[in-house]
Amino acid sequence: LKMNYMPGTASLIEDIDKKHLVLLRDGRTLIGFLRSIDQFANLVLHQTVERIHVGKKYGDIPRGIFVVRGENVVLLGEIDLEKESDTPLQQVSIEEILEEQRVEQQTKLEAEKLKVQALKDRGLSIPRADTLDEY
Amino acid sequence: SLEDCPLDEDEDAFQGLGEEDEEIDQFNDDTFGSGAVDDDWQEAHERLAELEEKLPVTVNDKTGNGERDEMDLLGDHEENLAERLSKMVIENELEDPAIMTAVQTRPVLQPQPGSLNSSIWDGSEVLRRIRGPLLTQEMPRVSVLEYALPQRPPQGPEDERDLSERALPRRSTSPIIGSPPVRAVPIGTPPKQMAVPSFNQQILCPKPVHVRPPMPPRYPAPYGERMSPNQLCSVPNSSLLGHPFPPSVPPVLSPLQRAQLLGGAQLQPGRMSPSQFARVPGFVGSPLAAMNSKLLQGRVGQMLPPAPGFRAFFGAPPPATPPPQQHPPGPGPHLQNLRSQAPVFRPDTTHLHPQHRRLLHQRQQQNRNQHRNLNGAGDRGSHRSSHQDHLRKDPYANLMLQREKDWVSKIQMMQLQSTDPYLDDFYYQNYFEKLEKLSAAEEVQGDGPKKERTKLITPQVAKLEHAYKPVQFEGSLGKLTVSSVNNPRKMIDAVVTSRSEDDETKEKQVRDKRRKTLVIIENTYSLLLDVEDYERRYVLSLEEERPALMDERKHKICSMYDNLRGKLPGQERPSDDHFVQIMCIRKGKRMVARILPFLSTEQAADILMTTARNLPFLIKKDAQDEVLPCLLSPFSLLLYHLPSVTVTSLLQQLMNLPQSAAAPAPSNPHLTAVLQNKFGLSLLLVVLSRGEDLQSSDPAAESTQNNRTEVMFMATRELLRIPQAALAKPISIPTNLVSLFSRYVDRQKLNLLETKLQ
Repeated sequence: LKMNYMPGTASLIEDIDKKHLVLLRDGRTLIGFLRSIDQFANLVLHQTVERIHVGKKYGDIPRGIFVVRGENVVLLGEIDLEKESDTPLQQVSIEEILEEQRVEQQTKLEAEKLKVQALKDRGLSIPRADTLDEY
Repeated sequence: SLEDCPLDEDEDAFQGLGEEDEEIDQFNDDTFGSGAVDDDWQEAHERLAELEEKLPVTVNDKTGNGERDEMDLLGDHEENLAERLSKMVIENELEDPAIMTAVQTRPVLQPQPGSLNSSIWDGSEVLRRIRGPLLTQEMPRVSVLEYALPQRPPQGPEDERDLSERALPRRSTSPIIGSPPVRAVPIGTPPKQMAVPSFNQQILCPKPVHVRPPMPPRYPAPYGERMSPNQLCSVPNSSLLGHPFPPSVPPVLSPLQRAQLLGGAQLQPGRMSPSQFARVPGFVGSPLAAMNSKLLQGRVGQMLPPAPGFRAFFGAPPPATPPPQQHPPGPGPHLQNLRSQAPVFRPDTTHLHPQHRRLLHQRQQQNRNQHRNLNGAGDRGSHRSSHQDHLRKDPYANLMLQREKDWVSKIQMMQLQSTDPYLDDFYYQNYFEKLEKLSAAEEVQGDGPKKERTKLITPQVAKLEHAYKPVQFEGSLGKLTVSSVNNPRKMIDAVVTSRSEDDETKEKQVRDKRRKTLVIIENTYSLLLDVEDYERRYVLSLEEERPALMDERKHKICSMYDNLRGKLPGQERPSDDHFVQIMCIRKGKRMVARILPFLSTEQAADILMTTARNLPFLIKKDAQDEVLPCLLSPFSLLLYHLPSVTVTSLLQQLMNLPQSAAAPAPSNPHLTAVLQNKFGLSLLLVVLSRGEDLQSSDPAAESTQNNRTEVMFMATRELLRIPQAALAKPISIPTNLVSLFSRYVDRQKLNLLETKLQ
């Protein structure tokens, strides 16, 4: 039932009061009921939960009400309430998932360090991705 | 946060500040003015969170005063604030819900000095003034708050919680930027009366010429209630899904015509939902009633309060809303309640293309069917109802008011306005036009139900010509040289120098030549796009303009042809080189294929001949692009118009056969190349086929026939000779080839040929 109001455009109006998954630019995943929007696609999410995924596990951190500035949204989509529970992923406690996340970050960092070192040894350097973000 | 400001204590300080600098304080109304709140948001939040325990609180001015401790820190009286606010309102069109446009009949509560008075937003004085400078129409004397007053009959079980009687939570509003509307009624209150749809439809069109289609009908009024759009769309026979265009809408109108029609519309305003007529059959009326309704509703919007469902305005108690399943046979009952002289309204010409609407309808049908299938026959609509249940039970639903949604939609719709939809939204327009043509074609063949033949009337804003005037200060000499978007300043002084021929090396010459060809292709392509567009412009133009249009078109076609062939005066026949260069470039080939239908037969034949003459070279150049086959179709079409002589000579060109019937050379690289190429072979076969057609249809023509026969014979012989492995796979094999070949060869060879060509 999308685009009921406006042809050839996307509007969030039909999404109101439905459960959504929102991916933010900083990588966070929020799940909540979309309560309000505005012309910039700023969002008001209700009963929001921040979901952290590590491997096949995930953990939910309840966050309450979120107001998200539109420009920080990468994508969002409606969650089918009936299919929501039908997932191969395993829910774990918050502590566990945070720990898993920490371990994952650490591994990544170390791998990255090795890579940078290897490149340096060969006389090459790759600028860090975060400094490229603005461009 | 705002709420933490200890407003009371600092009143004096702020007052001083305010008096110095009024302008800024206006903008900081949120911080210092009526928008500032004092802890109440927390209470309101709690109230929201604990809906079940809520005690009803009647809402009216007096209560509001007591409960709300807003203070105008500047200590100014309401009136001043209102005046300042009214000056702040920039654009009438925005009709920001934050700006109350209703005039109240209730007396304004006099502000007590020092008291916090939220009735700033509710007072009629204030409101009147806000609207003063902008709109001169007198507002009906109706109270916004009256809308909120409970007038409905006893509620059903689903309304155990009477949410309307929650107190309004404190909200800050920013008049300039426009926040969601300040409501006298608490958040979450469903529209109590019949929801007259959109705000959008009312406000969208304040001026006649300024055409904007209203929102597609959202809630059909009878449904009122607290149904989300989702639910409504699932309701059967919802007029949401109906096709808004009755059959008698006229074809495409030019912008001028549209503007005229709209300007002429002077019907009575009425607050009907166009959706109510969506399915009314045999709906006859002026084709523009729809636009009129939109227009009116635009005017209405200025006259009437923007709040939807503002039944009180009509002074009549709301009629019993018809049950959702019943579809009103004629204009809805509420229509009859209202102005009796309201003319027959055509459902609005929505921004949504009718084809699009149909598609949506189909999709919805599919979804519904799927759901039905999923749940089993005996469980129809349980999916839907469970979804509805969910929404019904969701206490936080509809926090965003319909008015607010409309407001956002309106902004989005405004962004879709365009002075030239074909320019701004080309693909959308064309796509749906194509779909329509398809369905129209199907209709002609099939015997399905006659779909409504409707044309989309797109919103068009009158183009305003702005003449840029550079900034000038009074009393100064000369103008400021300020560079802006409208007045760009030359930054670099680049001088074009053309080098002489001698200086260039061979490579540069080649490169330049290629670049020149590319430029020619681009220019010719622009001409082509214009020519292709003439048909549409022709339909939209006025009678007087049409000859001029035709002339232009002819002229452009000639230019195209000249560009293709390379017009060089003083030559009897232009050399092939120019054309061949164009044909070496992929874009050039595709362009030629598109141009061919517009050329005259002679011109097109000339192109074809040149192509045939140079075919091996072109084939070689096409090895990478493989785009020559796109030319086959236009060439085939052309061939059927060509006379016999041309066909014969074309065949000769293709095969590079000697004019006389001398014994063929042992090897014919030209022909070989042709045969080994998909396009070449296909073209050859088509030409042969055409020749065969001519021969069979006109056996009397002797002289040409001899020549042709010989050529055909030679062609056949060549085809036989060439090993199958070397033969390309033709795009299509004309059907009459067998009869053609049977003339010249015996059965055995015929079979051979057939297998070769498979």
